[in-house]
This record gives sequence, C-alpha cells and structure tokens, in this order.
Amino acid sequence: MERKIMAILAIVSLSLCLVFPIVHFLGKINAAGYKSGFLLASAAWFIFATLWIIRPKNRIKDK
Amino acid sequence: MAGKISTIAARLDQLYEFDREPVSLDKLQSGSKFAGLFAGEHVAATEFVIGAFFVLHGVTARDLVWGLLLGNLLAVLSWTFVCAPIAVRTRLTLYWYLRKIAGPGLTVIYNIANAILYCILAGAMIAVSATAIGLAFNIETPSLSDVFPTSIGWILITIALGAAFTALAILGFEKLSKFAQVCSPWIFIVFIAGALAMLPRLGVQSNFSNFWDVAKSRIWNGIAAPGQDKFGFWHILFFAWFCNLAMHIGLSDLAIFRYAKKWTYGLYTAFGMFPGHMLAWISSGIMVAAVGREMNPGLMAYEAAGLAGVAGLILAGWTTANPTLYRAGLALQVITPNWPRWKVTLAAGTITTVISCFPIVFVKLLNYVAIYGLVQMPIGAVVFAEHWILPKLKIEQYRAEKYQWLINWRALVVWAGTLIICFLLPLHLYFLWLPGYFIALAGYVGLQALKRNET
Repeated sequence: MERKIMAILAIVSLSLCLVFPIVHFLGKINAAGYKSGFLLASAAWFIFATLWIIRPKNRIKDK
Repeated sequence: MAGKISTIAARLDQLYEFDREPVSLDKLQSGSKFAGLFAGEHVAATEFVIGAFFVLHGVTARDLVWGLLLGNLLAVLSWTFVCAPIAVRTRLTLYWYLRKIAGPGLTVIYNIANAILYCILAGAMIAVSATAIGLAFNIETPSLSDVFPTSIGWILITIALGAAFTALAILGFEKLSKFAQVCSPWIFIVFIAGALAMLPRLGVQSNFSNFWDVAKSRIWNGIAAPGQDKFGFWHILFFAWFCNLAMHIGLSDLAIFRYAKKWTYGLYTAFGMFPGHMLAWISSGIMVAAVGREMNPGLMAYEAAGLAGVAGLILAGWTTANPTLYRAGLALQVITPNWPRWKVTLAAGTITTVISCFPIVFVKLLNYVAIYGLVQMPIGAVVFAEHWILPKLKIEQYRAEKYQWLINWRALVVWAGTLIICFLLPLHLYFLWLPGYFIALAGYVGLQALKRNET
C-alpha cells in the first residue's frame, strides 16, 4: 500500500516537472516561477521515486 | 585498521558478477530492466553537446529530423539483428567470446585499446558535467579550440566529479540499473522542459503556429559557425547510426544482452535512441540557439531550467559514465585476472578522471565518437563472420581456442588492415565505417577460407 502511494506521488511530481515549463511557455508564469516550481517538483520526484523503488514489493507480515 | 580495510575489501569482492562464465538462465533480466537501462544510458550529459554541435555545424531543420529518424532506426536494427542474436546464443561478454576466436594475445591488445576508448568517453561525460559546476564557481568553460586544461579550477572540478562517478561505478550493475531507473525519466524531462522554456526566447508563439519557421530560421538555419564543417542529411543519419557503433556493430553490448531472454530485446534500445538521440539532441539544439550559440552545456542547462537544469546535467553525466566505467572495468579485467572487480573499476575510474581534465575530449566529441566506433568495428566484423558465416561455409570455427593460439594472426591482420584502408579512403570520417565493415567481413572470411581447417 505504501509502495503504491509513493509511486502515485512520484508520478504526480514528475508530471508537475512537465507542467511548469508548459505553463511558462503559455505565458502564465514568469521564468523565475517556472524554475522554482521545476526545482521543487524535481526534489519531490527524487524523494518519492527513491522511496517507491527501495520498498519491497511483497512485505512479509509480522506474526 | 588493517582488519577493517580487509573486511571492506572482502565485501567488495562479493560484488563479483558472472563475467567470465556464460550467464545462467536464472540470471536473465526482464525487458523492463533493459528499457530502463537503455533509457538511462542514452539520455546523457553528452547529448547537451551533440545536439548543440549540430546547430553549430549548420544543419537544416529538415535534414536534422529525417537524419535522426532514419539513423536511429538503423541503430536499433543493428542492435536487434547483429548484436543481440549473438549475445543470447553465447551468453558471453565480447571479451571472453573474442578470446575463443582471436586468442588471448589479441584479446589483451583489444582490451587495452577498448578500455582506453571507454575511459575517454566517460572522461568526456565528466568534462561536460564539470561545465555545470564551473558555472557556480565562476570557472570559465574551455573554448572550442582548447586542448589542455585551462585553469586549476577546471582540474579540481573534474577530479572531484571523477572520484564521485568512480565510487558509484564500483557498486555494480544491479545498483546502477536502479539508480538509472530513478534518474533517467527526470533527466529526459529536463531536456524537454529546458527546450520548451527556451522557445519563447526564440520567438515561438504559445500556439506553436510559427515553430517550424523559427526552427528553420533561428535554430537549424543551415549556417555553420566559424571554424565548423557544414553538415547535411547524410552526416546526421550516419552520426545517429554510428554514435553507438562500438556497442551494436562492434558487439560490446554482448555484455548487456547476454542477460536477455530473447534476441528481440534488441528492440528495447529504441527506449534509449528515440528519446535520447533524437528528442534530447533536438532539445539541446534549441537550448544552444537560445543562449546565442555559445557551446557551454552548464550555461545552457542553467538558463533553460535553473538549478534543476544544472543538477540534471551532472546526473546525466553520472548515470552514463557509470555503465561506461563498468564496461571499461570488464575490458581491463581480462588483463588483470587476479584483481577483484572493484579494483579494476577503480583503475579505470582513475584513468578516466585524468582524461576528463583535458577539454579536447568534449570540444571534439563528435569526431572522437566517430573514431571510437571505427576502431572497434573490424573486431565486430571478425566475430560476426566467425559466428555466422564460417559455419555456413563449413570453415572450421574457434581455431584459436582449439589449437591454443596466442594470437589469431588473420584477425589481427584484418583489424589493422581495415583501419589502414579506412583512413586511406577519400571519404568524410563519418562515412568510413560502412565500407570498412564489409572490407573486414570479406577479408576475414577470405583469409580463413585459405585454410578451411587445421587438421
């Protein structure tokens, strides 16, 4: 379950990495706003993607 | 202290992988791992330089798109029909298979050459990443004519990066693949985001209506920068095809595909080629045009995506230099049979770091890539001929192994002879390898046919 949540958060972060330059290209935010947003979304991607990958697929339940 | 060191050394020794024996069936990897590996490997720091150089070489937008589409398709087909089938039949690295064909003596010569070539390539990746760090410390990026290190700062940055890259390479193939899985999708997004963000600066409207006009007039406008050759469609097609010549036609990727379940896994290289060697090259072209055609990957990345862009450039170098150092380690292992993997990778990393101090490895990157593939190509032809053509013609195979030859002189003559002929051919450097490949195939089969068997 935790692994699935991390995967969803990672994918959302990566999608945001693409959303910020698109919004900037469309003229909705300035360059500084795009760069800050892109940096934050990138940091989120690395955190969530790492947690997603290092979590085991099937956890053995404690008896 | 000595006990601790020996404990660490013993742990590192356990990282030994099945390099010297055919890969067993339980070690085969899934297709998704191949997709991740190739996607990570081919979206590299050098893509910032290659795509930008196409702009400086005055290629037109139309020639670029068609050249990249067809050239990358030919590269994928080369992996699928030339490299992967041999890998899944033998399950050996090129080095150990070549030993059966060419003998241990020639394998040693080949591996020394190979290890040096890999180290130079990884050195170029470190140098490109170093331009990003240099920006933060106000260290000037070397110019297109620089050969030697331009400052102490440049040397210190490349040494620091080289040490970091080498440390990760020592951790081994499995961990590299995991690291690439995290980095590669994001690095690709850095290229796309950077290019998108730079388009308004070049005058592209938000509905993309004038994109092609801007592409033709302000990015790939057909005008070469001073001192750079003019490139056309064939240059781009051949560059995209031979960019990884050593890996597909030269068969170095037997080391990777020996883990494949089927030869069709060669098609997974498309995950590296089209995002990395097409979209990323197009993106870096846009970025260099937007910074006034200044060849400075660090500046391009920073202007296009800020601090995340700088991090992207460093990680792109890191994730690609690592498998290259891994390959260099494999190449060196043959000539250092008693060394554990970590020690040979450390040696390869040290050589690479020294090379990365010399800016010529990245300012002349395109020519180096051509030479690198050309040097390894004849050996790929020898192995291909030995594996597929000799049995069809009922000519005895693997004579070097059977008769304990130190060197298969015919293979050596074909290798050296092909390279001499290639350098005498009146063709552009980029076009030499294709006639050279057929010369090597014909030459090796012809020499082997002179004496069909030794008994």
